[in-house]
Amino acid sequence: MLDKLRHLPRDARDTLFLLLVIAWVLLPQLGRLPLWCSALALLVLGWRAQLAWTARALPSRWWLLALLALTIGATWLTHRTLLGRDAGVTLIVVLLTLKTLELRARRDAFVVFFLSFFAMLTNFFFSQSLLTAAAMLVATMGLLTALVNTHMPVGKPPLREAARTAAKMALLGAPLMLVLFMLFPRLAPLWGMPGDAMAGRSGLSATMEVGTIAELALDDSIAMRVRFEGLPPRQSDLYFRGPVLSTLQGRQWLALRSGFPTRMQEPANLNVEGPAIRYQVTLEPNNRPWIFVLDAALEKPAAPGMELRMTPELQWLADRPVADLLRYSAQSQIRFSHGPARRTAALQDYLELPPGFNPLTMQWAAELRRNPEIGRDPARLVEFALQHLRSGGYSYTLEPGIYGPDTADEFWFNLRTGFCEHIASAFVVLMRSLDIPARIVTGYQGGEANAVDGYWVVRQSDAHAWTEVWLAGRGWVRVDPTSAVAPGRTGSAQRLQQRRGVIATAMDAVNPQVWFNLRATWEAVNNSWNQWVLNYSGGTQLDLLRNIGFTSPSWEDLGLVLIALIVATSVLGAGWTLWERHRHDPWLRLLERAARALSAAGWPVAPNSPPRSLADLVQQRMGPTDPRTPAITAWLLRLEALRYARAGGALGTLSELQHEFTRLPWPRRPPSPRA
Amino acid sequence: MLLTQRNVYILPTRPGFMLAATLLVLLVGSINYQLNLGYLLTFLLSGSALIGMHLCHGTLRGLTLQLLPPQACFAGRSTTIGVDLVSTRTTVRHGIALSVLGAHQWVWTDVPPQGRATVQVAFKPERRGQRPIPALTAETRFPLGTFRVWTVWQPASRVLVYPAPELHAPPLPEGEPRGGGAVARSQRSSGEFDGVRAYRRGDPLKLVVWKKFAKAEELVSRDTYHAQRFELWLDLALAAPGHNPPSGAPLEHALSRLCAWILEAERQGLDYGLRLGPQQISPANGEAHKRQCLEALARYGAQG
Repeated sequence: MLDKLRHLPRDARDTLFLLLVIAWVLLPQLGRLPLWCSALALLVLGWRAQLAWTARALPSRWWLLALLALTIGATWLTHRTLLGRDAGVTLIVVLLTLKTLELRARRDAFVVFFLSFFAMLTNFFFSQSLLTAAAMLVATMGLLTALVNTHMPVGKPPLREAARTAAKMALLGAPLMLVLFMLFPRLAPLWGMPGDAMAGRSGLSATMEVGTIAELALDDSIAMRVRFEGLPPRQSDLYFRGPVLSTLQGRQWLALRSGFPTRMQEPANLNVEGPAIRYQVTLEPNNRPWIFVLDAALEKPAAPGMELRMTPELQWLADRPVADLLRYSAQSQIRFSHGPARRTAALQDYLELPPGFNPLTMQWAAELRRNPEIGRDPARLVEFALQHLRSGGYSYTLEPGIYGPDTADEFWFNLRTGFCEHIASAFVVLMRSLDIPARIVTGYQGGEANAVDGYWVVRQSDAHAWTEVWLAGRGWVRVDPTSAVAPGRTGSAQRLQQRRGVIATAMDAVNPQVWFNLRATWEAVNNSWNQWVLNYSGGTQLDLLRNIGFTSPSWEDLGLVLIALIVATSVLGAGWTLWERHRHDPWLRLLERAARALSAAGWPVAPNSPPRSLADLVQQRMGPTDPRTPAITAWLLRLEALRYARAGGALGTLSELQHEFTRLPWPRRPPSPRA
Repeated sequence: MLLTQRNVYILPTRPGFMLAATLLVLLVGSINYQLNLGYLLTFLLSGSALIGMHLCHGTLRGLTLQLLPPQACFAGRSTTIGVDLVSTRTTVRHGIALSVLGAHQWVWTDVPPQGRATVQVAFKPERRGQRPIPALTAETRFPLGTFRVWTVWQPASRVLVYPAPELHAPPLPEGEPRGGGAVARSQRSSGEFDGVRAYRRGDPLKLVVWKKFAKAEELVSRDTYHAQRFELWLDLALAAPGHNPPSGAPLEHALSRLCAWILEAERQGLDYGLRLGPQQISPANGEAHKRQCLEALARYGAQG
């Protein structure tokens, strides 16, 4: 088999190579395409490879047309449209694979190449990670190699040679790529995107039902990266605020659905004190308009190209979903107060409970309120509930089992185990039963510092739910009941780990530190990729201009710099061309040097004299008896022979003649008569 | 001829425009979906294409074309012009095609580093005489096929074109009696001059037509009797009966016939002479004689 591979005819070899590259381009897509499309792509590529391997004829055009009609129909059925991103990707893959069955002329090959480039671009809709970039770089090199190879028509040159040319082009083209990448103005989308462009990215949920955060806790992917200016706050203060859930419907928590008109609702009324913490957040796309900041940020975070506003519940929202990596800087104070100081009617929203649920909790609350020691004082009731969580035999788990509809009763009296959302939900239900306004805040808590680049990494597994209770005179106060149940869940870097894969477990068994360091390094590399490539935006471009001396750069300046660079490069190119035109023939240059040496002596040298007439001139001027004559004429005649004689060994090379030129006894200008 | 910036031309090909369109679509896609990696891909391809353009031009630039001494040939018959491509570069020059300008019969070659490659360009001369070598063109699309780089070269050399040998020419003319010997023509059996007969035991070896033996493996001797008394003269007047002296189309036709006769006589190993009006080449035989006669045909009428 290997032997046959080596002795394949050129056509077959080239086709197989191209098919391999196409398969590599499509590989990352296969999981995302409709099943029929992936299967079709694999089958067609396999079939085409088989045809090439066994040197059989391609199917007829009618076959192809039938297949094409069929697949377009299937695309329509799958996506209900032929436009839009997902349908487009499917169509490109279908066209690309079917076109391989029609690789006849060179034109077909070009169509395949260009379709492959489109297919590569569609990969980036789903992932722009470092790995994807590396895979697509390989694909680009493969496609360029195949393209170069088709333009080596003679014999069967090894693919290595084409690959070398392709690599040379890419390497020499890389500076141009960098300049264009850095200076090409980042325009806003030219027209609206189909809605499906935003689909398929995960994150926190806008509502909370039992189990949804458990799924997140198992997701170790990165939610955001934070770089603090100066010392980072304590781990236990790292509460990144997300959606606030205030309305309970059955067992589902939703954002506030107030019974009051907007003007009656309480404003945020945020007061901050203490030193500000400044930091930059690089938020992974989450397809939500949520801007996570540390509790609490009074100043509007600076997110380029987005309008931000703060809700009365202290959450920062963007004017559109975060569909791409977003970097923003913010400042927060961890000492703050918010909410109304006195009890208002609007707080009634935070006391609502769905009727008929959690009878045991209601009963327990009624008992507590009758307790003469604590029943009158909300602060002591809160403290009592927390104490009860600490000492009442409650535990934290990621696998709490199945809860009934009365989730608070299940937690407080039956299962006594759960994770943050069960605990927070049960706590808020208890508080509301005790006539204390309370609500759930979701977001991320904690994070870990990457020792390699100093960024704090917040993962989806750091997703958390905590509560806020309203106390007279203090406003809303953060209470994290989960930390009462499991002090380790917050306040330290220790985390419940998701179940690890075989390799990770093996690595841990050998040396957990190695595994940790490896992961830290990888994530640091990935982070620089995000910071420098994926997050390179219009703002960064203007910063770049500021760094090279523009005081208030604009888009026009960017264009000017780009044009200036292009002009400079063209001028350099033109200069090089001129220089090369003069340089083009070393033989002519040597002849010219000889002619100049003779005319320097004041002899009449005709322009464009051949070596032989120069030799004649020497003979004539110096006379045949002069001892210098034979050396110079012999040299000139050798120069002539080098150009015009049939190849012979004894003449010497041009460089030898150039070398000898300096040692020849060229005539001197006759001394000018002295004054 | 050395190819330089001055005489190497470059223009994008149709796939080149396709690539430009592709890059544009990729760019618009990157802008619309705000894909920084898409920008990278687009610009990497643009950079590579630009370098590809330069490499394409460099494939021809600096190459030296040398014409090999052209071989005389017959009009109307395909022949080749040998061209040497000499490269001083340290890397291979790939995918260079040569053709007679406008003929589109491409010969592909690679030129090895600091070496030369010889190609034979197909060429079909139409008319006899001392003709200039047609203009040649060399082109390449290496490495990406997005640009066509070409040059046109008119070598300052000439090639001698013999008349086209007439197809199905009539048999060789009869011999003429040597120096006044009166021999009745009726003595001859075949009516055509052959001057050979089958080998008979005892024929001296120098009379054997070895050429014929080499071809047909049959031993044939020159008919000394016949050869002594008759000699074969290929005369323009014989080839063009009725026109004296012939000119224009009849002349060309006559020259074609003479050409066919010379080849036939040479094939049979006969001595033959050529008479073109006042110009006369006395009978002989062999490669040099044949060339002399053919050249005379080729040049006939040109000097005047």
